[in-house]
Amino acid sequence: MGFRIEKNPAVPSRMVVFSFSVLSLFLASAVIGIIFLAYGINPIRAYTDVLSKTLGSFYGLSEIIRKSIPLLLCGAGLLLVFRTSFWNIGAEGQILMGALAATWAALFSNFPDFLLIPCLFLFGFIAGAVWGFIPTVLKSRFRISEVITTLMMNYIALYIVLFLIHGPWKGKTMRGFAYTDKFPASASLPLIGNTRIHWPTLIIALILVAAIYIILTRAKLGYEIKVISQSPKAGRYAGISYFKTVFWVMIISGGAAGLAGAGEVAGIHHLLRHPNQISMGYGYTAILVAWLARSNPVITIMTALLMAFIFVAGDTIQLSFGLPSQIVNVSTGLILFFLILSEGMMRYRISWKSKEG
Amino acid sequence: MRKTLLFTGVLILACLFFTGLVFATGEKGAPEVSGPAAEKIIKVGFIYVGPIGDMGWTHAHNQARLMVEKLPWVETIYQESVPEGDTLSTIERMIQQEKCDVVFTTSFGFMDGTIDAARKFPNIIMAHASGFKRAPNVATYMADFYQVYYLNGLMAGALTKTGKIGYVGAFPIPEVKRHINAYTIGVREVNPDAEVHVRWIGAWFDPPAATEATMALIDEGCDVFAFTEDTSTVVEVAAKNGFPSFGHYSPMYDASPDYVVSGQLVHWDVFYLRFLGLVYSGILNSGNLENLDYWGLLREGDVELGAKPGMPVNPAWIGRLGDTHDLVLKRLEQMKNPQMVFDPFTGPLYDRKGNLVLPAGARADYLHLLTIEWAAKGVVGPWPNEP
Amino acid sequence: MELQTFIIDTLSRALAYGTPLLLGTLGEIYCERSGVLNLGVEGMMILGAFAGFVTTYATGNPFLGVLAAAIVGGSASMIHAFFSITIKTNIQVVSGLAITFFGLGLTGVLGRGWEGKPLDASLPIIGSPFLESIPVLGPIFSGQSVLVYISIGLALILWFILFKTSWGISIRSAGEDPEAADALGVNTSLVRYLCVLTGGVLAGIGGAYLSIDYRPSWTQGMTVGMGWIVIALTIFSFWNPLAALIGSYLFGSLFYLSFKLQPYLAPELLMIMPYLTTILALVLLNCSKTFRRRLGVPAALGLPYNREEK
Repeated sequence: MGFRIEKNPAVPSRMVVFSFSVLSLFLASAVIGIIFLAYGINPIRAYTDVLSKTLGSFYGLSEIIRKSIPLLLCGAGLLLVFRTSFWNIGAEGQILMGALAATWAALFSNFPDFLLIPCLFLFGFIAGAVWGFIPTVLKSRFRISEVITTLMMNYIALYIVLFLIHGPWKGKTMRGFAYTDKFPASASLPLIGNTRIHWPTLIIALILVAAIYIILTRAKLGYEIKVISQSPKAGRYAGISYFKTVFWVMIISGGAAGLAGAGEVAGIHHLLRHPNQISMGYGYTAILVAWLARSNPVITIMTALLMAFIFVAGDTIQLSFGLPSQIVNVSTGLILFFLILSEGMMRYRISWKSKEG
Repeated sequence: MRKTLLFTGVLILACLFFTGLVFATGEKGAPEVSGPAAEKIIKVGFIYVGPIGDMGWTHAHNQARLMVEKLPWVETIYQESVPEGDTLSTIERMIQQEKCDVVFTTSFGFMDGTIDAARKFPNIIMAHASGFKRAPNVATYMADFYQVYYLNGLMAGALTKTGKIGYVGAFPIPEVKRHINAYTIGVREVNPDAEVHVRWIGAWFDPPAATEATMALIDEGCDVFAFTEDTSTVVEVAAKNGFPSFGHYSPMYDASPDYVVSGQLVHWDVFYLRFLGLVYSGILNSGNLENLDYWGLLREGDVELGAKPGMPVNPAWIGRLGDTHDLVLKRLEQMKNPQMVFDPFTGPLYDRKGNLVLPAGARADYLHLLTIEWAAKGVVGPWPNEP
Repeated sequence: MELQTFIIDTLSRALAYGTPLLLGTLGEIYCERSGVLNLGVEGMMILGAFAGFVTTYATGNPFLGVLAAAIVGGSASMIHAFFSITIKTNIQVVSGLAITFFGLGLTGVLGRGWEGKPLDASLPIIGSPFLESIPVLGPIFSGQSVLVYISIGLALILWFILFKTSWGISIRSAGEDPEAADALGVNTSLVRYLCVLTGGVLAGIGGAYLSIDYRPSWTQGMTVGMGWIVIALTIFSFWNPLAALIGSYLFGSLFYLSFKLQPYLAPELLMIMPYLTTILALVLLNCSKTFRRRLGVPAALGLPYNREEK
C-alpha cells in the first residue's frame, strides 16, 4: 500500500486556479490565526479588525493601491524577463537608479515646469533601463551570470545613492542630515483627492501592464520570448538571437523599475533619502508578484494588490494589537508556502494505490 | 465534477468565514463600552524608525514609552520599523483609526511627514525628535550626548597606553561629528598627544561591519573604543580582544562587565513625562507649540553618564583611572549645575586644520552644535564634508 | 615588515568574516549542483543563528548550539526540498524567497527579549605555540575558531566527494541531466533531497558561527544580507568547493579592507569595492580562455524532474 503523485494531465482551468488560490489564502490565515492565539488575541476579532481597517475603509484601500504601484511596475517588468529565463534580481537597484535620475531632473536640471514631470519619468526610465542593460552586456560579452551582476549592482546602486546624499547632493536646508533638498512643487506628482495615490504613476503602471500583455500576445518580441521560453535551442534554429531578445526585455523591465523609483521620489518622498527607505525591498517582493502571476501580466495587478494588502494589513495588526512588525514577514512566508502548495496540488494528483498505476 | 466539488468547498469555507466575521463584529462592541464618567484619558502614539528589539535609538524610546504607560491617564500604542515615506499615512492611521490625541515621531526622517500631518490634523498635538521644523501643533525635542561623550573622552585619554583611541561611527553627519569632537576634546584634555581614529560603517545597524571596523582599528593600534551603532557589537569585539570600551545609548554593562568602563545613557522618559504632564494640565495645547524646541542635556536629566543607570563609572575601572576619576566627577557636577558652569565646546578651539572655530571664552551656540562639520584637533581618519 | 603585518591582519579577518560565507556557499553549491536553486539561504542562516544562540545560552554548550542550528537550518531546507522536488513546482524562486521571508520574520518575532544577552560559552579557539611559530600562516590561522578549520576541511572533503567519487557523479548528473542519471539508476529525488539538506545544514551552521562565535549575541536581522552574498559567491566559484574558499576569503578581505583603508581612500568608494571587484574579477577571469570553458551552469538548475515526463 502506498501512494504516488502523478501529473494531472488536464490543464487546470481558471476557476480551479482561482478557487485553489483562495483556499490556500484561507488556510494560511488559519495558521496565522494560531500565532494570534499564541499572543492571546482572538483571531476572528483580529481578522475582523484588519479587514475593516484595510479593505473596509477608504483609507486602507487607498494605502493598498499606493503600495501596489511600485510592485506592479517592477512585477510586470520582471514577469517579461523571467519568461526568457534571465534571472533579474536587480529590480531593487534599478528602482534606486530611477529615483536617482528623477532626483537629478527635479533638483538640478533646468527644464521648464510643465516639462518637469514627463522628464522625471523619462530620466527614471532611462536610468533604470541602463542599470538593467549592463548585466545583459556582461552576460553576452563575458558570460557572467546575471544573478551575480544584478545582485551586486543592487549594492552598487545603494552606495551610489548613499554617496550622493552624504556628499555632493546633501541638501543645504537639511542641517547636515543626509537628505537632498525638497523637490520644487512643479516636480511633485498630483495625488488623488485626500489619498496619497500618485495617479500618474498608477496610470503608467496600468499602461505598462497592457503593453506587456500586447507584447506577449501580438508583437514579434512576444513571439520570440515564447519560442525562447520553450527552448533556447529552438530559438536559435528559428533565427532568434537570445541576447537581442534579452536586451529588449531587460530595457523594458529595468526601465519599468526605474519608473517605479521616479514615481516613489516624486510622488511620496519629494526628496532623495537613505536608499533602503526608497526601494523598501519592493524589488525583491516584485519577484514574488511576477512569479505568482503565473506568466500572465494582467494577473500581476492582483498579485501586486495582494502583496500590498499583506503589508498594509501587517501595519494595521501591529498598531491595533501591539504585535512585532516582523509578523508581516512570517505571514508573507506562510501565505507563499500555501500558494505554492496549491499550485502543486493543482497540477498533480495523489492516487492511493498499491504500486503500478 | 471535481471542479464543482472544489468550488463548493471554497464557497462553504468563505461563507463560514464571513459568518464568523459577522458574529465577531456583533460581539466586538461589548467590552469596549465604558461608563460616561470615565476619566480623561490621553492616547499617545509613538512612531519608531527601527525595531524596538535592538539596543539603540528605538529601543531607548520604547523603554521610555513603557514608563509613560504607567501613568493612569495615559494609553499608548506604537508602530516600529516605520518607513520614512510612510510617516503621513502612519500618523493618519493613528489618529483616524486608533484615535490618538498625541503623536510622537521619533526620527529625523519623519520631519516633513509630521509637518504635513500637522496641517491635516490641526487639533492633534505632535512632537518630532531631532528635527528643526515646527508648527503651532508640532514641537521638537532632542536629548544629546555631546557632554557625556566629553566625559567618556576624559576617561579614554587616561586609559590609552598606545595613545590611539578608536571610534566606530555610523554616518558622517553633524550629530555624530559633534559627539566625536566632544570625545576628542575630552581625550586631549587628559592626554594632549592622544589621537582618535575614526572609521565609518555607513549604517546605523550592521554588526558585521561594526566588527570589522573595530578589528581594523585594533590592528592599527587602538586600545580604547567608543562608537555609534545600534548594537553592542563594538563592546563585545573590544572585550574579546581585551580592550576597554564605552557603551552607547542603552545599558551595555551586561554585555561585558569586565571591559565596559562607562558610556552614554538616554532617558527619553524625562521629556515624555514632562511634555505629557503639561498637555494633561492643558498648559500645552495644539496652538502653542510653535516655539517649543526642547534640547535635553545632563542638566535636564535626559542623558546620563554610565553603562548602567546609577553607575557613572564601572567600579572595576575607577582605580585604573586615577586622578581622572575625580576630574570626571567634577566636570559632571559642573555640567549638571543649573548654570551649566562648564561646557566642552568653549573657546579657544581650533579644528584639525588649524583654523580657529571658536574664539577664546565663547561657547558654541545651539545652531553651531547642530550644524557642526569641522573636526577637532586629534581626530585622525576620513571626515567627509570637512570645511 | 609593515606589508607582512598588513597581509596577516587582512587574511586573518578574511578567515573570520569569510567563514559563514564559505559554509553557506558550500551548501548552496551542493544544492545547485544537484539541480535545485534555493534562494532561502538568508532565511536558513538567520534561523540557524537564532537556534544556535538560544541553545548555547540555555545549555551553555556551544556544540549543542551548532547542532541545533544545523537541525533548524536543515528542517527549513526540507520545506524547500518538498516544494521543489516532491511537489515539483517550477517556482523554486518563490519557495526560496518564502523561506527567507519566513526565517527573518519568525526569528524577529521569537527573538524578542533575547537581544543584548551575553553568551558566556564560546567555541574553542585553535592556537598553540607551535602553530604561532610558523611564519605568516601561523599568525593568520592561530586564534581562529574551530569552525574556521572545520569549514576549510569541509571544503576539501566536499570537493573530493563532488569530483572524485561516484556520489559526486550522481550529484552532478542529477543537476546536469536528470534523465540520463535516472537511466543510470541514480535516485534523482533522493540525491536532490540530500543536497538540499546539506545546503540547509551548512547555512544553519554558518548562522550559528555568526551568533555564537563571530559576534556572540543575538540581534534581529543580524545576517544583514550575507545569504544573498552566498548566492553570488556560489556562481562566482563556478560551483566548485575549492573555488568557494577563494571567493569567500576574497570577499572577506575586501570587506575588511573597506574599513582598514579608510584613511587612504574615500569611505564611499571603499564600500562599493567588494561588490564592484566581484564583477570585475569575473570579467577578468572570463577574458582568459582556460576559465571560459568552465563556466557551465548546472544544466537542469531550477528545473523540477519528473520521471513520468520522459
